Amino acid sequence: MADVNPFYLGTFIVYLLIVLAIGVWGYTKTTDVMDFWAFGQNMGPWLATWSFVANFVSAVSVIGFIGAVYGEGYALMTHTIFGLMLGTSALYFAVDRVRNLDLLTFPDIIADVTGYDAARPIAGTVLLGNGWLYLVMQLVGASLLVTAITGVPYEYMVWVIGIVFIAYTVLGGLISVAWTDFLQGTVMVAAVLLALGFMLFDLGGFTSINQQFGALDSSYVNPTAGGAYTALGIVATIVAFFGTIFTEQNNIVRIAATKDVRTAKLHLAASGVILSVFYSALVILGGATTVALDAGGLSIETQDGAFPTLITEYVPDEVGIILILAVMSAILSTTDTRLHSTGITTARDIYSYFRPESGDDSQLKVSRLATIVFGITATAAAVNPPGTIIELYNFRAVLLTSAFLLPVYMGLYWAGLSGKAILASIVTGAILGVGTELTGGLFGVPSTFIGVGSALLVLLLGSVLLSGSEPKGGAMAGD
Amino acid sequence: MTIFGMPDTMFIVFVATLLAGSLGAMHYLTVHVLLGKPVNDTTQDRSGSDVVRDRAADGGQTDGGR
Repeated sequence: MADVNPFYLGTFIVYLLIVLAIGVWGYTKTTDVMDFWAFGQNMGPWLATWSFVANFVSAVSVIGFIGAVYGEGYALMTHTIFGLMLGTSALYFAVDRVRNLDLLTFPDIIADVTGYDAARPIAGTVLLGNGWLYLVMQLVGASLLVTAITGVPYEYMVWVIGIVFIAYTVLGGLISVAWTDFLQGTVMVAAVLLALGFMLFDLGGFTSINQQFGALDSSYVNPTAGGAYTALGIVATIVAFFGTIFTEQNNIVRIAATKDVRTAKLHLAASGVILSVFYSALVILGGATTVALDAGGLSIETQDGAFPTLITEYVPDEVGIILILAVMSAILSTTDTRLHSTGITTARDIYSYFRPESGDDSQLKVSRLATIVFGITATAAAVNPPGTIIELYNFRAVLLTSAFLLPVYMGLYWAGLSGKAILASIVTGAILGVGTELTGGLFGVPSTFIGVGSALLVLLLGSVLLSGSEPKGGAMAGD
Repeated sequence: MTIFGMPDTMFIVFVATLLAGSLGAMHYLTVHVLLGKPVNDTTQDRSGSDVVRDRAADGGQTDGGR
């Protein structure tokens, strides 16, 4: 066991106490189920923006992305971050359509565009599974990191983190989550920029970092990692990550929580700018981390250990604390949002479908209960995560984009599109997209292209064969 | 050729990513702030009653209210 660092441990405890206090305050402001689910649909632009940013940046972003830059260089910008940023801006252009539907969840939208209410529990179950797996991965990442930094054993740390975020999410729902996100988002962005500033000073400036990074391996500063990524592979990854922005339950819930369409548009416009600057800084910080660890003769076992090693072995304690705050903010803000999503998905998309007569109080109870159950089971799974969870997690982007991107959003814009065609397209995209991902592709064509392409084909064929065969909800008149 | 110590192609990817993330902000600033065009907001038309809240809370089953 590593030595306990009282300095870092103290910072971590204060941090947890602050977010718990916000959770208790959020509880006093939560009077009904709409407050818990969607901030009473009264979220303003500042809160919505920082909540989106904080939720967007996860353990994968901070630990994983810096590790990825350590392993393969700046090519991460080309195949992943560009797609995420393009997706955020593209959602800005579609968000008025989504917000004007005035529905709470992604399954609600699917039911609306297809005209089949049964799509709610079915899509809800898929999103619930996806959300729970994401939750487990976040908890594993958070606990590994905090254990490495504070020295507290992993099996204790995972429960401490799990119980704290379950507590404040259950107490205040999206009110607690949004306000803690506001705090965490601003801290996270400021801390990463400050840390980058320290590294720029320490390593001789921006140009010097890039020169030293390229001197370690010229492929590190090549957009395709020296040819490791093909153009087809890069485009497929961009499409896969682009699509996740449109299809994640928590993004749709955030849009529903905004007080009006103007706020919905503004929060995505502002988030796109903040996130593109943040990720550019983070990727450069990854380059700086690699240069610093190499110069300091510090070796790591896996690339994900790069950032924790920088914090514990390279930077002074004062800077280390700033970085811990950034990492904890990134992880907890994503974890609480995903946990909140499991509560709303269970109560809103599944429970209320089977119990349509249930009242607000009963749905609020189910939301809170589901939040506790999924939180505790995710924490228990994170204590000893099976390898299959990590493998399944890799299918997330392919599944969401292949199944939902084109059918649902074309349904929003194409007034005469058949509901049956949309459903058939969702099923085909999901099966073929995930199927080819599991089997490693088909004739060298990336699985995202197979999934999205087959979904489009079925959608077009279905629209010809089934047009006018049944009613659907969907496109907004007058848009 | 290098810019800030990285090949120009890599630099272009950074610039493209910053632009990609800023497309929404550029549109909002130009269309809704400078040109003053209102956003497409039909939820406001339904405000003043509980229809908005009801629709969100019941999954869109508004009994023909839309």
